[in-house]
Formats: sequence, structure tokens, C-alpha cells
Amino acid sequence: MSIAFKPEETFRGDYRYRNSDAAILRFPFPFPEDRYMYSVNIEPHTRSGPSDVYLHAFDVDEHYIAECRDKAITLERDPGRCQVLPHMMMAQWDTLELLMESLSADYPALFSLTKEGDDFGSLWTWINRPLGIEQRFVFGDAETLPCEPFEYITRQAQGDFAICDQRDDNLYMDAGMVTSQADWSLEFDVGMSFMEWHGPVPLAHQTGVFERALKYLLMLRLGQPVRRLNWTMSINPRLDTSPESYPEWGPDRASVTPANAGEKVHLRVELQTLWRLPRSNAILFPIRCYLASLDDLARVPKWGKRLHRVLSTLPPQLVEYKGLTRYLPAALEWLAQRDDGAELPVGTAAGVTRLNAPVSG
Amino acid sequence: MMHSDIKSRPAYQALVPDLAGSRHLLVIEGDALPPGRLATLSNTFAPVADSLHTWLTGAPAVEGIAGKLWQLGSVEDVLDTLACATRGYGMGDRLYVLGTEPFLWSVAGAAALIGFGPGQLQLEHAGSLRRRVWCTHCHVTTENVTTGIVACRGCSRHLLVRDHFSRRLGAFMGVMVDAEAPGEIPAIEEVFA
Repeated sequence: MSIAFKPEETFRGDYRYRNSDAAILRFPFPFPEDRYMYSVNIEPHTRSGPSDVYLHAFDVDEHYIAECRDKAITLERDPGRCQVLPHMMMAQWDTLELLMESLSADYPALFSLTKEGDDFGSLWTWINRPLGIEQRFVFGDAETLPCEPFEYITRQAQGDFAICDQRDDNLYMDAGMVTSQADWSLEFDVGMSFMEWHGPVPLAHQTGVFERALKYLLMLRLGQPVRRLNWTMSINPRLDTSPESYPEWGPDRASVTPANAGEKVHLRVELQTLWRLPRSNAILFPIRCYLASLDDLARVPKWGKRLHRVLSTLPPQLVEYKGLTRYLPAALEWLAQRDDGAELPVGTAAGVTRLNAPVSG
Repeated sequence: MMHSDIKSRPAYQALVPDLAGSRHLLVIEGDALPPGRLATLSNTFAPVADSLHTWLTGAPAVEGIAGKLWQLGSVEDVLDTLACATRGYGMGDRLYVLGTEPFLWSVAGAAALIGFGPGQLQLEHAGSLRRRVWCTHCHVTTENVTTGIVACRGCSRHLLVRDHFSRRLGAFMGVMVDAEAPGEIPAIEEVFA
């Protein structure tokens, strides 16, 4: 399998991000039923599932090169998007090892890792062909890399990464590389406990969801990663929807009309996986972001109709929390025109192998 | 109100001496003390008076306070004194802090840097509910905020003061209130008196 990268894509300014038909068909659509239901929905991260994005430990797709470049732009503007507390060096090496081993095993045509040994002090050679990188370094010696190991490897991966240190029966967000976040601030949250960083989430605390999730995660085992999907919506295919840059993208929310919603409004799905790290006993928490416009999604009739129904039943607190208030009516009006009320099968699978013709424009 | 649905908002409790500790340090923001609170504190801490030091900022000298009294000018003096601690603090030390929220978290942060763990620390809120607000856009903090919307000291944007709280920064999150509709700023009202 080869991936046709699209290095000319942009996620800001002229927004030259586009999904190919294949990318739309593999989109991790998150809604199995017609009404909105909140659930923790954690399941084993096996190399299978209703979308191709589940087939590998860390999914690499056609947007890889463009996303890595957008990440570099964001870091250039705001180096604080990568933060690592001083006691996390072991977890940094754990992360580098996990990513290099997984990527080179899953995508041997794109990445390769040659090791003279498995232990600290061994000479390793890392080749990243899409980004044109060849790096020889000593595993365990940060001086032999251009920057610290966590920043080094997560600059070469799509999506955000947090590392949670486990102590006192709790998880603390003690490191992060966060450049494509759904409106949360690493600078504000770094060092927080599990309950603290989930503090602003409405409704779920009252039902004990976070207590149960924390208990489950504290017992996460090495080699048995888990995953869940989370979602929100974004105007324009913008990765950097951070609170830091909210003054730049906030006005976009007021630009949506029933006429342009198909092109402007994007469903933003996060594939969140959780990995126990071997030496540090920390948990790596990658948050991989997928963007598809309403135009894209409506080309799969089941998804367009289902999205209309789910968004129609969203509790008002979640509309507010997810920041949809200003443009949800326009998005619903656009989607309603494409929902004939037909009964839809349960499940997230697209149910088609070819897309309908584009609907907007 | 101190109560919030947002779980990062800390809950505070009345200070009680931890008898498992061997040395006790009580740090009080004098200007935040309610009338009579010092007397009740002295009673509460009487069982550990022999191993108690009390650091009092701002307020005039007070007779009959439990333990050995030290007076410091301001929170900056407390932080400097902690940072230059002339004796090592250890497992047996207990730190009790009473004051406004910015005071509590300034002291807690300085104490954490010299090795105080969460189990060695108690915080009791007293006085004004004014907030320290951290701007998510320029990362500058604005002190003594009593209104629900405040102009950032760093970037001048009008920030909505959220309940989301960072212990590391000792501050609440401030987010531009008119980002989506520039210029539409709601009436500014005093809410953290």
C-alpha cells in the first residue's frame, strides 16, 4: 500500500486541505445511532475496526507531510505547545521507542529503524522518508538528537500527544505536544490531575464517568492499548484551534450560513489511544485528529443523515461546551435538506464503497 | 460563591493541626483575616504551639497568637523566605496557609518547589474572592480581578473569567469574550467581591 501524500495542503490561511474519496471513506465516523449518546466507549486498540484508521498502531494518511509542516509552523509561533516536566525524561524515551518501532513496523516503505541494541547506550538509526530525515543517535542520550526525544519524534507524527504520569492513584498530565487541539490549553493544563484537566466537561462528572475511566486507565497494561473516539466541530479545516489562537479563528464561527455550511463546517473526530509505557509506567495519550466537511460527509448518505439527527438531539450544555452555538442552526438547516428521514442501520460503517457526487457548489 | 461545577476549582477547608507532623508553619495573609479568626486559630493550634511558627503578613502585631510569631510585609516576602529557607524542610513539616486564593496558591507553589508534598499542606480560604486571571492568548496574569470580564494587563483583550483553575499557575482561565463577534462586550459586573 502506498500513500499519495499531498504536501501542498494548508490548514490555515487559504485552507488548501482536501480529503480524497478514499480518505472520506475511511473517516472514523463516530455516531452509531440516530440520537446523541454520551459514553466513555473505551475498547481495545486492536488492529481492526469499522474504518481503516484502526489498522495500525499510529495511523499515517495522505495528510501526513502537510500536518507535520503545520505543526512546525504552530511550534515556531508558540514553542510552549510542547512542554515536558523535568521528571518525564524516561517517558520521553519510551514514547520515542514506541513510535519509531510502530511506524517502521507498520509502514516499512516510509520509515525504518535500525538498532544495534535495545538498551540505553545503543546506536540507533532512524529514517523518515516522507520528511527526508535520517538520524543516527544514541538511545537514552538526548544530546545526540537535535531536540529532546519527545519533541523530536512527535514533530514527525500526526496529531497531539500527552504523557500522563501515574502516581498516588491518579494520572497527571506532565508532558504534551499539542498543536491540533479542540480548544484546550497545554500551558494551562500541564501538571493537572485527571479530574482537573477534565474539569470543564459538562454533564459527565455527575454520572461518575471520569471516576470509572480513571480506575480503568490506572490498570492499563503494557502491550494492551485502548482507544475511543471523541468529536467536536470546527469551522474551516484548521488544526490549530487552541485557546491561544482563538482570536484568529473565533470570528470564523460567525461566518457560517446555510449556503456555505457544507464547505465551512467540519466534523472533527479525535482517535484517542492510550498506551502503557514500559520503563516509566506512564501512559502515552495520542490524540489523532480527522477533519471532514459536511460536503464530504454527505457524500456518504448514511453519514449525512445520521449527523443531522445526532446534532438535532445534542443537549444544550454540550452545544455550548463544544462552541457550536453560533453556527449549529445553519449547519442543521444545510443537513436537513439532505435527510429524507429514511431508516438507517445501526453502526458507524459507511455502507457504501463509492461516494455520491459532491453535493455543494 | 466558591462552589462550581468545574472540578478543577479547588475546595478549601478550615485549618486543623496535623498531629503527625513534628514542625508546623502557619502562614496568614493578615489583610484577609476575618475578625476573631486569629483567636480561634490560636485555640485550634494550641496543641502544637511548641513546634509552631506563624508568619503573618500585612496586619499589625497581634497579642496572644499561638507559636512563635514572625511578621512579614507581603506575600513576596513569604515567597522569598521560603525560597531562601535557611533550614531544610522535611517529611515532618506541615504548612498551613490562610488567605485569598492568589495568596494561597502563591505560597503553595513556592512550598512545592522546596519539596512540600500535597499531604503536608492545608489551605483555607479567607477574605476577598478576587481572582488571579491568566490570559490564554498572551499568558500574562492579571491580579485582583473582581469582575466577570476583565481587560488583560498584557494584551488588553477583554477576557471572560472562567471557573477553570490551574493550581500550577494559581490562576483562573481568561478567554477573549468577543473573539467571535469583535466589539460585542457584555456589561462588566463585579462578581468576585
